[in-house]
Amino acid sequence: MNVLNTRGTDYFGMLVAAIIAASPLAAAAQTAEVNLPILVPITGFLSLEGTSQRNGALLAIKNAPSSVKITSEVTDTGASPEGATTALERALSRGKVSAVVASMLGTQMLAMLPVALENKVPLATVSGTADITEKNNPYVFRFFPGDAVAKGAHVRYVLEELGKKRVALVYQTTAYGQSGRRHIVELLKKAGIDPVMEEALDVSVKDMSPVMGKVQVANPDVIMLHLHGGPSALFIKQAAAAKVNLPIVAGSGLSQPSTVALVEPAELKGVCAEANASPVAGGSPEMEKFLAQYRAEFKTEPDGFAVGQYDATAMIIDAAAKGARTPEDIRKALSSGSYKGVAMTYKSDGKGNMANSAVVICYDGATRTPKIAKRYD
Amino acid sequence: MLLQILVNALALGASYALLALGFVLILNATSAVNFTHGDMVMAAGYVAIALFSIVPVPGALLLPLVMVAMAVLGFVFSWFAYFPLKNRPPVSVFISTIALGIVFQNSANAIYGAEPRKGPPLLSEGLFEVAGITIGKQALGIVVVAIVLILAQHLLLNRTGIGRKLRATAQDRQMAEAIGIRVNRMIALTFALGAALAGAAGLMLSNTFFVTPTDGTNYIIKAYIAVTIGGWGSLTGAVCGALIIALFEVLFPSLPLLIPPLEAIAPWLFTQTASTILLYLGLLAIMFFRPQGLFGERVQRRV
Amino acid sequence: MNAALNWSISGVRPLLILGGVLLAAWPMLMSSAYELRIFTIVGIYALLALGYQFIFGHSGALALTQGSFFGVGAYVTAVLSVKFALGGELTVLLSMALPIALAALIAAPVLRLESHYFALATLGVGQVLVLVAVAWQELTGGANGLSGIPGLTLFGFEVKKGYAIMAAVWACVAAGAFLSWRITRGLYGAALHISRENPIAALSVGIDTAKLRYAMFLLSAMFAGLAGALYAHTIRVVSPEALEFPIMVACLTITVVGGRTHIAGAILGAILIVNLPEWFRAMDKYYLIAYGVTLLAMIIAAPYGLIGLLEQWRAKLWPEAPRRMPKAVPLLSLRATGPAFGPLLEIRDVHKRFGGLRALNGITLTVARGEIFGLIGPNGSGKTTLLNVITGIYRADSGSVSLDGAAIHALPSFAIAQSGIARTFQNINLVDEMSVLDNVAVARYGLENAGLGQTVAAGWSDPAWQRARSQAMSLLDALGVQSVAQSAAGTLAHGLKRKVEVARALALEPKLLLLDEPAAGLNETEQVDLADRLRSFARSGLAILVIEHNMPFLMPLAERMACLDHGDLIAVGAPADIRVDPLVVEAYLGLPEKTSA
Repeated sequence: MNVLNTRGTDYFGMLVAAIIAASPLAAAAQTAEVNLPILVPITGFLSLEGTSQRNGALLAIKNAPSSVKITSEVTDTGASPEGATTALERALSRGKVSAVVASMLGTQMLAMLPVALENKVPLATVSGTADITEKNNPYVFRFFPGDAVAKGAHVRYVLEELGKKRVALVYQTTAYGQSGRRHIVELLKKAGIDPVMEEALDVSVKDMSPVMGKVQVANPDVIMLHLHGGPSALFIKQAAAAKVNLPIVAGSGLSQPSTVALVEPAELKGVCAEANASPVAGGSPEMEKFLAQYRAEFKTEPDGFAVGQYDATAMIIDAAAKGARTPEDIRKALSSGSYKGVAMTYKSDGKGNMANSAVVICYDGATRTPKIAKRYD
Repeated sequence: MLLQILVNALALGASYALLALGFVLILNATSAVNFTHGDMVMAAGYVAIALFSIVPVPGALLLPLVMVAMAVLGFVFSWFAYFPLKNRPPVSVFISTIALGIVFQNSANAIYGAEPRKGPPLLSEGLFEVAGITIGKQALGIVVVAIVLILAQHLLLNRTGIGRKLRATAQDRQMAEAIGIRVNRMIALTFALGAALAGAAGLMLSNTFFVTPTDGTNYIIKAYIAVTIGGWGSLTGAVCGALIIALFEVLFPSLPLLIPPLEAIAPWLFTQTASTILLYLGLLAIMFFRPQGLFGERVQRRV
Repeated sequence: MNAALNWSISGVRPLLILGGVLLAAWPMLMSSAYELRIFTIVGIYALLALGYQFIFGHSGALALTQGSFFGVGAYVTAVLSVKFALGGELTVLLSMALPIALAALIAAPVLRLESHYFALATLGVGQVLVLVAVAWQELTGGANGLSGIPGLTLFGFEVKKGYAIMAAVWACVAAGAFLSWRITRGLYGAALHISRENPIAALSVGIDTAKLRYAMFLLSAMFAGLAGALYAHTIRVVSPEALEFPIMVACLTITVVGGRTHIAGAILGAILIVNLPEWFRAMDKYYLIAYGVTLLAMIIAAPYGLIGLLEQWRAKLWPEAPRRMPKAVPLLSLRATGPAFGPLLEIRDVHKRFGGLRALNGITLTVARGEIFGLIGPNGSGKTTLLNVITGIYRADSGSVSLDGAAIHALPSFAIAQSGIARTFQNINLVDEMSVLDNVAVARYGLENAGLGQTVAAGWSDPAWQRARSQAMSLLDALGVQSVAQSAAGTLAHGLKRKVEVARALALEPKLLLLDEPAAGLNETEQVDLADRLRSFARSGLAILVIEHNMPFLMPLAERMACLDHGDLIAVGAPADIRVDPLVVEAYLGLPEKTSA
């Protein structure tokens, strides 16, 4: 079934058709057909991340080699687990699916896992939620550093680069926040450190003065944040206003360009953030090329999710170009192969965790563009 | 430290008071619970951002523009949410405003996306520091604007002809109609005014707290709690309720800072999450023991 | 056979029966797991909405807890089956039990609040539950929730994915629909109707509206818990999203769109609302806006939902023949009264203030058995207030009111009605959409000992309701209004409404009848007719207390009279004496005209 849903793939489809018509023998022998539904949250509170996923996947499809013919439909999964399972089953009912670009929301992934297992279809996501690869499910592939890697980078930077010992930890009461906090505390404990202060914040908390007060009283020498984008920005703003002159190392929430846009550059002095990748920070020719292409195609800045999903989709397409025909082929290729993507090289650790490196970016207080301070592999 | 906490609470309380003002005005005039009020504040934030991108002037200059734009929106809003349902039981208006809230939220999400946006500051961002106490310039601006608007609303309602008519309509609509007041106009005007106040709140809060499409639910709950604590229908009550909520939200989690032994006894009690739960439980307690709030009056039903 | 046929072609039932057949046939036409899943989810939401109809539709209270109870049910199932590996037979029961317990717990403070307070309180409870679910990570898995929930197993037998679970869900929907029908079809259902449309009237005919609302609240929680349990077994993941507001909004939308008191409405609404996002996928990210617009359009244009709309159209386009009226069965006219000596009603030194206003200043009065007692006075003198104090709508600040020697001033007003005091109101308090017959029949609620258990256990038709309607028929005869028995009460002329109200009051088999300005709005013929009937009731032993301004009506009727002025009792005695009493003349009557007949 040939349901094309985007302009990019429309043009591409016509191009492919033309090539096939021109060289029937060669093409017929070598064209791989891939049906790759894109099931991400376009509405609801994760629409930014979902849209990044969608854009990254679509860009990868656009850059696919001519030997691979891709059909793809974008479907919104909304914000609830049942929205995701419904979308997945709908996609499965509409023809043979090779692989799925799946939502990065942890609870939606967890709901989709049994369906993927039953239908033997691999899911490629950029969800950071730790649990999804802990369910003994061979069909999930995560192209985003799991909490172990990401928080590993986060904690190592604080301990090794900054040499701090008194940690104040502020985290979110969401799956992202709770999971991250667990890993941070474990890793700190391994280094013999207990946080001097911890506070959990709901996403709706806007006024952080009580937290700020507690932080100051605890007398830390560094603040670790593991909050979503908006709250991270609020915290940094209010910390600057309260004249809290401490280094802040935030989680990936802060690395999204849309979050950084909320803060004044001056407020970012001494602030660093952990991320899977930061396209706007550039750093390599491939990244620069990706950055330019993304900006031109979607008129907005890419974030880590976009580049992660781009790499994920590219790896699947690469597997197809190298001969994978069935979902099982693709699954094998993902679980045993290694792929050099734009952000990093991906290789499964046996459980579906593909991304094994993270970066820490820092802001100098003059501009909103960060620089990569350290890379952890 | 206590002083800084109180200053922070005052700044937050002024924000909440701005939220509650428009809400209680509409409530008074129509007995209609406008569940969309929080979403109006959110919409106003986006209006402020949109206007700022066209005309990059300080928020103080945009304020009247935003209030006028929101007043028009409020006027139109009443045609959809209220007037078709004015002879139905009040629960219908509650539902219609829930419906419009959904429309507002999803429109904002569709147009602007889900990530937070920042609105223009009133004058500038930055701090004042007086005797070791810091207060943001924006926060101070909120306090000033809140005071001005509260006074303006009080003067309008109590010292002008229009205000008298508005109050008459609110107290006894049939009687007001009988003595010649154009009741429908008064009600539409009330919605416009309430929306304008939401506009002021939205503009100010869009800078301090950013704007996301889902903010509305939280704002309306705060407004609701403020009005319930203060007394359903009382303007003074709403403002007092707002200050009380802010004080609780800022002071309660900070208690261990003032009284260190508390931290050792029950650290889980003074977390942000626990304080929020306590706030709701407190609300339930007030509704049970003193449903008329602090300043409200018991109303008997005529048989 | 004839009755069943009549039943199935009345109203919009033909459509509904067709719809039911299609619904049952649809799964056989389905081919993909996707369609099955959607259909299962439709069933879960239909069950949720069916439950919601009890508190929101039938009791008229906008509770915002339905989503929370759903989430609690889902979590109970999740926790028990994942952490304790308990089987479905236990977890499903507990998933219903915990929401019921929670509802019972919060009902006490919350149910007696007025509409918006109630809504806000329930919203607050919901918020607290979400916070607890997120924070209590050891139990609930925190924000990640619990995954890997097994399928539903009943006594070791697994209900498999796909067809089996769908059938299980819809079996629950059918059972729920059956229960809902049983509860709302008879006398209990009529009591629910009047309690939500006119609570004061309901109390005045002896219906404990608070108890009804409480029962409906708990029922709604039970249905929500079951729906949540089924949800957990279907989606296999439970996270705090199951407790959050969007589910409540969906439930509310389903109920409003489908029809808040129609069983078919819950199912139709669920079909529409669950499928809407699927159908509107073409609208990309704007489809949720369509959602809000639909809800708004429905609440404005079709407050009774789509089913209500269909019924209205049917009634307009193809009106039905009026149903056969039940045979009149006379009441046992009076209940046995207590001791034959002593006054029937004794009011002793009753005081009542409203803020600074002294409405009643130490009123002392008695009314004897079978006596017609008139109460007069200028406006604002406290007459209606006194009535309200007697019937328990207001509590006296001090003093006592006794009926047959037993103190009643501390009883709730429905209990006072049940003990034998009936009343009519200054502003008519009938339920406009109910038929005249039903308006009167519902007053038999207390005397028929109707209740939740009784209505569920009764058979195809509720015998209590049949009896009540027959007896109501004879009361309508007694007041000469039997010809309008099938008309909706709101369509009647004022005089007829007045008589219907009296009939309703009499249905309580009262010892004392309180009439508040019964002659107002009646023409002379009607007044004479009413006075005659009242006299005949009094002759059979019914005591009547009449508030009136219409002296030509009252003077010949009353045997004794009292006059109030500014809350004081200024005169008591025979009508002839009252008429010339100087205090009364000054305060109220004025001097008789020289040219009076």
